[in-house]
Amino acid sequence: MTRLTLAVPSKGRLMEQTTERLTRAGLTVRKVGNARGYRGEIDGMPDVEVAYVSSSEIAAALKAGSIHVGVTGEDLVRESMSDSATRVTLLTGLDFGFADVVVAVPACWIDVATVADLDQIAMPFRRAHGRWPRVATKYMNLTRKFFAEKGFGDYRIVESVGATEGTPAAGTAELIVDITTTGETLRANGLKILDDGVILRSQANLVASNVAEWSAQSRRACDELLAKLQSSR
Amino acid sequence: MATEIAQSFEALEAQAQLLMSVFTKAGHEAVAPAIIQPADVYLDVIGESLRARTYVFTDPDGAELCLRPDLTVPTCRLHLWRNGAAETPARYCYNGPAFRFQAQGADAAHPREFRQAGIERFGDVERERAEAETVGLTIKALEKTGLKNWTLQTGDLGLFRAVLNAVRIPTRWQKRLEEAFLRPGTFRTELKRLTEAPGSSDLGLRNRSLPADLVGSLDQTDFAASEAALVAYLDAQSIELIGNRTIAEMTQHLLDVVADQTASPLESAAADLIEQYVSVTGPALFAGQRIAALLKGVKGGPGAALDAYDRRLALLANGGLDLSRVMFSAEFGRTLAYYTGFVFEISAPGLKADGAIAGGGRYDGVMRAAGAPRDVPAVGAAIHTQRLLATVSGIAPKEGL
Repeated sequence: MTRLTLAVPSKGRLMEQTTERLTRAGLTVRKVGNARGYRGEIDGMPDVEVAYVSSSEIAAALKAGSIHVGVTGEDLVRESMSDSATRVTLLTGLDFGFADVVVAVPACWIDVATVADLDQIAMPFRRAHGRWPRVATKYMNLTRKFFAEKGFGDYRIVESVGATEGTPAAGTAELIVDITTTGETLRANGLKILDDGVILRSQANLVASNVAEWSAQSRRACDELLAKLQSSR
Repeated sequence: MATEIAQSFEALEAQAQLLMSVFTKAGHEAVAPAIIQPADVYLDVIGESLRARTYVFTDPDGAELCLRPDLTVPTCRLHLWRNGAAETPARYCYNGPAFRFQAQGADAAHPREFRQAGIERFGDVERERAEAETVGLTIKALEKTGLKNWTLQTGDLGLFRAVLNAVRIPTRWQKRLEEAFLRPGTFRTELKRLTEAPGSSDLGLRNRSLPADLVGSLDQTDFAASEAALVAYLDAQSIELIGNRTIAEMTQHLLDVVADQTASPLESAAADLIEQYVSVTGPALFAGQRIAALLKGVKGGPGAALDAYDRRLALLANGGLDLSRVMFSAEFGRTLAYYTGFVFEISAPGLKADGAIAGGGRYDGVMRAAGAPRDVPAVGAAIHTQRLLATVSGIAPKEGL
């Protein structure tokens, strides 16, 4: 692995946005081999090998060090590694894929505006319902870390992989931690974001793996790639 | 990984057999509770912080399970499974592995897989006797394996509750301070907040986002009218009522918040008293006198709780314990998740502070979390046998032990 391996999302809107962003930086990506190939090259950068990887797997590949750099959301990086600061380096934001990871509660909870308020209602809720308030989320690690920093521990996480914003109305959770861009979906589901409930303002990032094997060649290619992306922001 | 291999397994087992023989001779039945446990009970008692240090996983049926992080909850569940009535008095002892995720990386003093030997006793009505005997038996077992230079650190969450009772503060504040006590940072903020006049700082204004027109229509003396006011407010704002939390629950909390905003602050004398109590630390014999002196003249003093404290010490002395080796700290026990009263820890010189050889205490709420209809008196102790072996054999814990 002497060339630089760059992983980009293999399909959907994220792939399109990544291609657009690379094009804006003067980087033209061509797929190699047949049209459905999973490899690509960048014109004029022979030291870069592009790998098309499912966007949900790029963070894991960075963590394992099987790729050098990848395009992925900061939210996925922070969620999938308890030691993200040592495993990877966020090189630069890419100005797309904006999403906030937030704590949202039913809008009818007039008496709750902050995490401290959640802390106050948790025990009365338990007395009334026999259990702690449940938080539906797919961001279990981000949630736990955020609430721990705020000194709030009286809740239960229920893992949710889809339609998280509907769980409070459905009665399967009391509140949620989820991503939002405009807040519209949250409002439509009768939810509001806590005043101090923004856990992370995330966007797509160029992320480098600190545990991959780096050669002088791949390092040079990475620097060049980063320079082009940063000068085209 | 070397930390998982018990190279000194034979020595460990021989030591554990010695411990178990002391326990069984004292009437504790040897049991082997299940290693795989439902995560529910732990998450309920300890909370989500459990996930940060426990191996939680999902089985093919989707049930959330964990590798037991201790043997206390598993022993409670075993007791419940055996006896329909959780109050049935019983004494158990065990020796086996427990598992904890070490976020800073596992090392010899903090392995992710370690062994515990311990005792639990349920249903004892003579509370201080059960506590003193549990400590006494633990120390007797430790000494049998050759441990000499131990120290005993104790704490008493019941005494803290009694102090709160004695200073006569509103019940809802008392509850809040009690809950906050387990989290030192929150506790200080909460205490400060209660001593400040309403609106005098950000802390006092924490719920400033409450709509004034709603606050104006709440009535502390008429719950039904307050409920109706909240419903009317939600209607007027076209906010739909969703979720499991009821109008009544929200109304009660709103009333409490508003009451807090208008209530006179906690008298500084009362806050001082609480703070002075929290800072009491030293030899257990003197700590009792210090607390008695602190609360002298306070109406309704700590009475029963302080009597219990003295009785426990007397029982420990009767059991042959040298009281000069017993320390007390009012803060001790705060960070130990499920204890409800007396707590203790036994350590030896040379071990780091977070690496006690044995610890335990009273945990009356666990049996209910495990499925019993009500709290059940419960006292127990667990010994970290690898640390014990390292200490008595005179070698520092090292890789492979």
